[in-house]
Amino acid sequence: MKLTVNNVQKSFGERTILKDIHLTVHDNEFICILGHSGCGKSTLLNMVAGYMFPDSGTIEMNGQAIEGPAKERGMVFQDHALFPWCTVLENVSFGPEVQGTPKAQAREMAMDFLKMVGLDAYAAHYPADLSGGMKQRVGIARALASHPEVLLMDEPFGALDILTRDLMQRELRRIYEKLKTTILFVTHSISEAVYLADRIVVMKHGVIAEIFEVGLQHPRTFETPGFGEMMAKIERLLMEDEEEALV
Amino acid sequence: MNEVPNVLTKTKPATGATLLSTSKSSKKADWSFLKSALPYVLFFVVWEAFSRLNMRIEMFNPLFLPAPSTLVHDGWALAKTGVILDSIMASSGRILAGFAIGSVAAVMLAVLISKFATLERWVSPILTLISPIPSLALLPLFIIWFGIGEFPKIMLIAWTTFVPVLVNTVDGFKSVPSTLIRSALSLGASQRQVFTRVMIPSAVPNLLIGAQISLGLSFSALIVSEMMGADSGLGYMIVDARNYFKVTNMFVAIILIGIEYSIFAMLLKLLERRVLGWRKGGMGQAVEKAKPTRG
Repeated sequence: MKLTVNNVQKSFGERTILKDIHLTVHDNEFICILGHSGCGKSTLLNMVAGYMFPDSGTIEMNGQAIEGPAKERGMVFQDHALFPWCTVLENVSFGPEVQGTPKAQAREMAMDFLKMVGLDAYAAHYPADLSGGMKQRVGIARALASHPEVLLMDEPFGALDILTRDLMQRELRRIYEKLKTTILFVTHSISEAVYLADRIVVMKHGVIAEIFEVGLQHPRTFETPGFGEMMAKIERLLMEDEEEALV
Repeated sequence: MNEVPNVLTKTKPATGATLLSTSKSSKKADWSFLKSALPYVLFFVVWEAFSRLNMRIEMFNPLFLPAPSTLVHDGWALAKTGVILDSIMASSGRILAGFAIGSVAAVMLAVLISKFATLERWVSPILTLISPIPSLALLPLFIIWFGIGEFPKIMLIAWTTFVPVLVNTVDGFKSVPSTLIRSALSLGASQRQVFTRVMIPSAVPNLLIGAQISLGLSFSALIVSEMMGADSGLGYMIVDARNYFKVTNMFVAIILIGIEYSIFAMLLKLLERRVLGWRKGGMGQAVEKAKPTRG
């Protein structure tokens, strides 16, 4: 799998959202796109997903231009976007089923993914019965059940409380170690990015400000040598003009 | 009353506890049932008393307001002739046919509207033009166009059902959260599958709201259309009773209409509960009821 974003521009009306975006995502990479809200990071992700198209430039996956949403690019939303009329199991088996897997087999596959996120006991429940963290686990299981080549995550833990968020980060890292799916993860939390990512793409005002190789050993904690330094470096970069504006 | 369970506990000590608890809970259930039935009972008792009093002192002609006991007596006699069953069957057939035709047509048009924006641009102004007209105003026209058979009646009921179901279903299609559509597409669903597996289930709650609004309106349409140019049905029963000044029959028909409407409304509620079992929320979920301090 290889995903390339080449010289992409995007504007909504007069407002330029993204310009000069170049990015290459390699197989099995865990990349975080980090930035303030409104910096265009979600727009970039939506274009990779195929919900939007660049005004100029190209986004290619395995050498093919992206022409719309496809199962090769799974998506996890901040609001989880589970189908409320489907049970947890039906939600996860949705992907395999619409792709033509026989129902029984799809359900079996779905059950495996539910086990992986530790929610097999809730298979028959409806999403409304679940807590925020549990819903997001189902969201991840659902996206993975379609065997995407890259998993796109749009601030998936943004709506969770801080403790659940920590737990989910650990959980996601564990799943990633197991499946080695390429992940493109959008966040505005510096610690989340440093904890999770192999590479961090920092975006500011619609351009990529810098790309950091994290290169710390997993599992990471705040005590891991280099963790704090990395956070401080990114924070300085993100806060630069903010402080200038104040002076 | 307290003696009974005590006797049971003495004679059958092994099962005494369970018997005691079941008899207690059933007693409680009976009470709540009785409590909810009380307003109805009181209503009919007052009616009965008032009618009987009127028969004595003749404030007005007693024939105008027959007592419930008279209604039961005469209604039973009427039922034995088969008139009641025939009327109910005729009315139910009309409402079912009209309601089904109207709902199906409305859902089909709603689907088309959600697919083709141009269609909506053309249809919606016309709908805003004609939908505020009470459908009953159209009845004489329908009779002139379609004659006095079943067709104009069913058409009228269908039309009454059509508008609220259409408006609500279109609204339902429009308010499908975009992330649901996006996630379905990213999971590999085709446009068709997005429609059948996401759009339709999303719109069902709105569709049912439309159906519930329609039901009341279509019952009015049913009764009025049976009052004009019909020879069967509950509405016809009322007109027929008026022509022969059989006030009792009129009351019987009115009560039957009430019962039939309640049954249809209940069926729709049951359907809703079955189809929307996944839905949570509302006051019952928002605030748990405080437990009564004493049972």
